[in-house]
Amino acid sequence: MFGLNKIIPVEPNINFLSLRRNFLIFSILAMLISIFLLSIKGLNLGIDFKGGTLIEVSTKNTSIGELREILSSSYSDVSLQEFGNENIILIRLQNKNNQESIETVNSVKNLIQDNVVEFRRSEFVGPTISSELLFRGFQAVSFALIAILIYIWLRFEWQFGFGAVVALTHDVLFTLGLLSILNVEFSLATIAAILTIAGYSINDTVVIFDRVRENLRKYKKLELVDLFNLSVNNTLSRTIMTSLTTLLALVSLFIFGGEVIRPFALTMIIGVIIGTYSSVFIAVPTLLIFKFRPQDEDD
Amino acid sequence: MKNYPIWKSFTVVSLVLLGIIFAVPSIIYDENSENWFLKNKINLGLDLQGGSYLLLEVQLDVLYKEELDNFVDSVRLISRDQAVKIEKIDIQENEVLVFFANKDKIKDIRDSFFQMYRGVSLQIKDNKLSIKLNDEYKKTIQDSAIKQSLEIVRKRIDESGTKEPLIQRSGKKRILLQLPGVKDPERIKDLLGKTAKLTFHIVDDENTSALNNNLAPFGKMIVLDIYDENIKYLLNKRAVVGGENLVDAKGSFDQTEGHAVSFRFDTEGAQKFGKVTTNNIGKRMAVVLDGVVITAPRISSAITGGSGIITGNFNAQEASDLAVLLRAGALPAPLEIVEERSVGAGLGADSIAAGQIAAIIGMVLVCIFMILIYGTFGALANVSLIVNLFIIISLLGTIGATLTLPGIAGIVLTIGMAVDANVLIFERIKEESLKQTKVFQIVKNGFDRAMSTILDANITTLIAAVLLFAFGSGPIRGFSITLSLGVIASMFTALMLTNFLVYLYLSFANKKELKL
Repeated sequence: MFGLNKIIPVEPNINFLSLRRNFLIFSILAMLISIFLLSIKGLNLGIDFKGGTLIEVSTKNTSIGELREILSSSYSDVSLQEFGNENIILIRLQNKNNQESIETVNSVKNLIQDNVVEFRRSEFVGPTISSELLFRGFQAVSFALIAILIYIWLRFEWQFGFGAVVALTHDVLFTLGLLSILNVEFSLATIAAILTIAGYSINDTVVIFDRVRENLRKYKKLELVDLFNLSVNNTLSRTIMTSLTTLLALVSLFIFGGEVIRPFALTMIIGVIIGTYSSVFIAVPTLLIFKFRPQDEDD
Repeated sequence: MKNYPIWKSFTVVSLVLLGIIFAVPSIIYDENSENWFLKNKINLGLDLQGGSYLLLEVQLDVLYKEELDNFVDSVRLISRDQAVKIEKIDIQENEVLVFFANKDKIKDIRDSFFQMYRGVSLQIKDNKLSIKLNDEYKKTIQDSAIKQSLEIVRKRIDESGTKEPLIQRSGKKRILLQLPGVKDPERIKDLLGKTAKLTFHIVDDENTSALNNNLAPFGKMIVLDIYDENIKYLLNKRAVVGGENLVDAKGSFDQTEGHAVSFRFDTEGAQKFGKVTTNNIGKRMAVVLDGVVITAPRISSAITGGSGIITGNFNAQEASDLAVLLRAGALPAPLEIVEERSVGAGLGADSIAAGQIAAIIGMVLVCIFMILIYGTFGALANVSLIVNLFIIISLLGTIGATLTLPGIAGIVLTIGMAVDANVLIFERIKEESLKQTKVFQIVKNGFDRAMSTILDANITTLIAAVLLFAFGSGPIRGFSITLSLGVIASMFTALMLTNFLVYLYLSFANKKELKL
């Protein structure tokens, strides 16, 4: 039987935890920068959360510049963007109220009727809806974090739950910070991506924690740092394998899945990388804060 | 096969076969098939098949305001009967305050009023009567308004010729519409944007001073012309007859007036209309639609036949749309569109094609990678992965779930994540193989030890997916469905199918040692 898995030794012996201070500093910095960016620059909110009108058209023999000229004479706050290729153009408009936007869609369509082959999509989200969607997205993410914490708490000791939630908060903040830097559109799909990242990252963390728990029972005399190192090493090839296959699928989605889904795929790619990193370098070291194994004192 | 119970092989094989068989309807995807089996196919969401999603909000404030106006009219009538003078009426947000000249008969007035409007909160303080729209009363108005609106919206959509629309209440005061295949949502929006409240009123042409001062006396109202805002009419507030008495309306063509809408009253409407036209020959009759006068012809003779035409500067489409609105009836309150998402069939088809390519390429990459890393065992895991995909598709088809674009993303993501359970198992087998040499014992221990990890790890992903379903809407729910199904299916394929395949392979290859 052949198999490249022998590249990663069955029992690798890499001292991950010796570097924990450096990684902790790096992650704290990353989180601080993320918070800073989110409060100063914010996210590139799409119409789901900002409200407004979006029209996607495919044009014939009309450049984006010509189209902009036609529209900007009637609308001052119109923005146009090529979407995937130069014949497909996204038109965004901000409207004051619901009634106005309905009329806007109509009149925009009339203005560019002759330059357009197909109106591929038109979306309008009113101000009440967009704030509701934002609130519900926020609710979903918070409840997910709480539910995961409770689950981990039930299945493991509470210290593990703490470690997992520290790692998760790190993942969510870090990902949002990168989205802000990269100016990726933040939409309903992004919320879905963030929740999935939370699920994925915790999945990774749980696998390592599972091994920590097992080793705690098995090696009663081992130093905690060594025991955590051993557990990370035991699960290392699995951690790498699963991240790689997930990334393969996501990269395929990013490249071939079409323009609409691209921000989602990008967010997931970022999140999977951060989630994998945090399981090894954040979640596990966090456990060191706690003095495990009360039975040590009994010995 | 040694070491593997027959009942277990049987279960695995039959579940896999079921998974594959029930994926067939979705793969063939015959849209119009009536065959019971082929009907178990995936529903495509509006973002994939093209169509319009509209969220409408019933403008309840308008209704509350109307009800307060009704209170004022009724209290005026009652106090006139009781010969009590009203000093002042103050209309507030949820309340009408009536100040009477004296407080002698205020209790009688309150009681008569309560006979008419049971459920309102009435309070007397000195000469002041407060009539309040309490929450319960509002809720009654709200519920009946939504119910009526739903019915009218359904009629209008049916009249517009849309196939298989989904129309349902959403939350307290909203109506959700899904209109598959609708190419021109603008026309639907036009149809829904009008209240279509039609009433006929006698015009008062004598009291010109009221028009000049722009102040309608009690029982009258001033209404503008639809085409020219400078033309005003003073009308009797009480309608002669209204749209609710119409039994039919259709677009027609009149030689002199052009496009028109011809209509017919029911018996009651015809009688009323006949009586009023007989008594008011020479006066004008205004046709009021949604608060503006469309036309106000002079009554030249009694109209007793119960039918007539409405003229105006219509074109053919406008006339026929107005007829549709009149046939369907008036909405109790205006509807406001608060969210719209329309996707053309072209973009939907592009999304499906792109999703398929991404899924296939992702699948091929993952499969190659697994074989590179795990060799034969990787190939076995790939069989599980492919079966996994079939199971997701067949579950989506049989439970009648809707596949959306984010749903496709969920499937592609699952392809990457589904091998995780297999990887966990193989890594355990690898470790076990260092400890002992008995092939079947190694495999058994590997699966057993990986089991609890697999469950723990997947349940957390399921928690996220379930919350996404609870708080998400439309397309995002599609994502949480495919993700959940994918996670569940991957647990089955790894723990049952891969397990079966590994035993099968080891039995036939007759391996004496295992090095992974």
